Amino acid sequence: MEALLVPSLAKVDRIIQETPDVRTYRLKFKDDSVTEKFSWLPGQFVEFSLLGSGECTFCISSSATRKGYFDCSIKRAGVVTADIHSDIEEGDDVGIRGPYGNYFPLDDIKGKNLLFVGGGIGLAPLRSLIQYCIDNRGDYKDFTILYGARTSADICYKEEIEEWKKNTSIKVVLTIDKPEDTWKDNVGVVPKILEEVVKPEIANTKVITCGPPIMIKYTLQSLDRLGFAPKDVITTLEMKMQCGLGKCGRCNIGSTYICKDGPVFTYEQLKALPDEF
Amino acid sequence: MSFSTFVTDKAGLQKMYEAIISKHETYAPVEKFGKYDYKKVSSLKECDPDSPIAETMSVKPLFFPRSSKIMKYEATSAGTSILETDQDPLTAQRVVLGVKHCDARGLQVLEAVNKWDYIDSDFLKRRENTVIFSARCDKAGTHCFCTSLDYDLENLDALDIAVVNGAEGKIYLQTRTERGETFLKEKLEKSTMYNVQSTNDESEMKKQYVAFAASFRLKMDYKDINEKMAKRFDSPAFEEASRNCVSCNTCAFICPTCHCFKISDEKIKDTGVRYKSYDSCNNVYFTLEAGGHNPRPAKYRRWRQRSMHKFVYYKERFGVNLCVGCGHCAISCPVNISIFDVVNHIASTPVGS
Amino acid sequence: MDYSKQIQDIAAKLFADGKIDVFVGYRMNGFDDNQIPVVITDPKEVSTLVFTEKSVFNLSNYLKADHTRNKRAGLVVKGCDSRSLNLLLTESQVKRDRLYIIGIACEGVVDDKGQKMQNCIECIVPDAVVYDEMLGNPQGRKDYIVNADIKALAEKGLVERREYFEEIFENCIRCNACRHSCPLCYCAKCCIDQETASLYNGSNTASSAFHALMTWSLHLAGRCVDCRNCEKACPSHLPLHLLHKQNEKVIFENFQNHLAGVEEGERGAFYKYSLKDPDDFIM
Repeated sequence: MEALLVPSLAKVDRIIQETPDVRTYRLKFKDDSVTEKFSWLPGQFVEFSLLGSGECTFCISSSATRKGYFDCSIKRAGVVTADIHSDIEEGDDVGIRGPYGNYFPLDDIKGKNLLFVGGGIGLAPLRSLIQYCIDNRGDYKDFTILYGARTSADICYKEEIEEWKKNTSIKVVLTIDKPEDTWKDNVGVVPKILEEVVKPEIANTKVITCGPPIMIKYTLQSLDRLGFAPKDVITTLEMKMQCGLGKCGRCNIGSTYICKDGPVFTYEQLKALPDEF
Repeated sequence: MSFSTFVTDKAGLQKMYEAIISKHETYAPVEKFGKYDYKKVSSLKECDPDSPIAETMSVKPLFFPRSSKIMKYEATSAGTSILETDQDPLTAQRVVLGVKHCDARGLQVLEAVNKWDYIDSDFLKRRENTVIFSARCDKAGTHCFCTSLDYDLENLDALDIAVVNGAEGKIYLQTRTERGETFLKEKLEKSTMYNVQSTNDESEMKKQYVAFAASFRLKMDYKDINEKMAKRFDSPAFEEASRNCVSCNTCAFICPTCHCFKISDEKIKDTGVRYKSYDSCNNVYFTLEAGGHNPRPAKYRRWRQRSMHKFVYYKERFGVNLCVGCGHCAISCPVNISIFDVVNHIASTPVGS
Repeated sequence: MDYSKQIQDIAAKLFADGKIDVFVGYRMNGFDDNQIPVVITDPKEVSTLVFTEKSVFNLSNYLKADHTRNKRAGLVVKGCDSRSLNLLLTESQVKRDRLYIIGIACEGVVDDKGQKMQNCIECIVPDAVVYDEMLGNPQGRKDYIVNADIKALAEKGLVERREYFEEIFENCIRCNACRHSCPLCYCAKCCIDQETASLYNGSNTASSAFHALMTWSLHLAGRCVDCRNCEKACPSHLPLHLLHKQNEKVIFENFQNHLAGVEEGERGAFYKYSLKDPDDFIM
């Protein structure tokens, strides 16, 4: 057991300052044999150690279809993430265990219209799937990304979003909560823009959503109103985890282990869980 | 493989135990401050294989240590390196004397979680390499209810060798697993089997089991409890029942089946050690997220998680209750809360009121 | 010592007069002569309340919990319990006007085996020091006794003493029950519960247990009232009182016979630092 908890060392190849409190760490394993074995699917997560500080759970925010590296986007929230932001520089080593957890239901969404609804740092797990789907664009029909942030400065992956906008096969809708002088896009919270601007097609569409709890709450209500079936709405849960192996008991919700049976769930599955997340 | 029964007396058993201790790595309950904990012993005088259940810690830490080292590392400005990882030290066979039946059953219950998906091979290997001699449980303690929880006195194979009192000072040894059978028949030299003779007469043992089973104050229909608890997630009885809990976490730390753990680092200058140590879901920090959100902020929610995990969730997932009825939690609770009483109370409250 | 009837009557009246929302007391556990603390909100349950020499647990511990905090609470306190309550009042953890305190002139409580508790034998302040109503005959202040185990500790050299404590802490399983059952440990985040790497790593390795318990005892130096909730909670039966009684002795002898929580509003010894303080006992 203890052997399963020992991380592999990875080098921080690049640090991208996404927003004032979010940074993306581009990581490469130091040992090539680890790189070969490390394969993941969108939605999976890793245990990220700043050795000497602690271990935290983060989703992988890039897709394995982009070879040679993987990204973790980290928002400064608690003690360990603050240490990560202040202590890690490009070229430093971190410890990585994983990948763990389930992944977005890639078979179920094949041949469907995809609607991504993200808020704030919640775009991180979606980005892994978005990249994956872009790299397999032929497998999917209409492709819409609705992304909201509190202010324009809080928008993650700005450069990449510009690329998505240039891609004519993708519809990108951006919004911020309150008006700003230089902002020419939508203004308003995500659920409002979803209903008033995006007006998605319901039939044959899968919705993949992730964001802060309050956004998720109202977005799920909006999707309900729009007529989406709970089984067509997919989200990923954030829950305190520690081992990632279905052993330490921290992420138990009822008899479900979020680290093994999740973190990706349909809204239908979430409704069956006790209200403890 | 067929299993065997032997008969001896107190002197014969002691002689055999002494021989085992001198030849094998042996663990047994050792007293300190009136409490017995399983420790490595070098003579029978140091320990008491028949320590009172109320004053004996669980044997679990011999299989799932209270703390274990994951790795040692060095993190300096020059770079990071992992210096050593923990190698499981257990390769040779060891013997544990005086394990309560419930406690051994706890190890069996824990196998389920340690075997699913990622396999905790250390836990399984430790169990495989350990020969367990049971304590001579012959009278139920105040808080005992092991026999209510799918527990078969006569056939429980969580033990390798059951040690049972008979009439007129006789003591029976019954092998319950291949490991136990091989140990008694092959690993022990004949000379150490002083006054230990093979027998086919198990009637006295059976009588003893009947008497033991009759001595229980507490009896529970766990299937009924499972069913009723599952329907009472929203019962206000959880709030009421948890009010006098002081969230001290002792119940989880001494439980033979609780298995939640935390990972924590100790770092002195550039060198750090990462440990895996026990944790408890009654702890407010257990589910507290870095951003401040806590899915179980109130005491009753954490408390409900623990009791539901014991009697509903684990059963749903792995087909067995995560409680073995040992009563350790009730004995150790500073405010005398008995899980038996509380679970029965909650099950008896009306649904959804 | 049996004040069950009086306490039932007082609690019933408090509920009837609408003076309290909860009452914290003891009831029988239902199968032997041991008791369970209870937090009652339903006046119908008042009849289950008891108080005898088996009423051991210090109830002021419950004043830091969700169901009593910010509520009007009635509770029963013995001499030692009232001292910890006094400290909670002084340290602004509870509000006096929200409490109705039934003080007991305590004749001492007994352990599971019916033996008088050691802290009761050594008790200096048997009568409740803060109360709205007193039950029993006040006995006044008793003499300060230094028990044999503390005397023996004082005779040990520093190295020997450290080794002695290390040996005691060997059986610590780091459940932190001692801290949680202490009425005076109310910090929202305890210093021994760090989430990042530190000396207190939560493991039960010797160094971690030693540091954690020593730090804990120093945070209670000059505040511990010797109620022994911690010892009751310790699953390994560690003699934790040795730490606290040793601190108590040093403080009593060096700081004008200071005893924690005896005077209402009096600050703990550590808060009253002065340059004239003696320091020859410092290692």
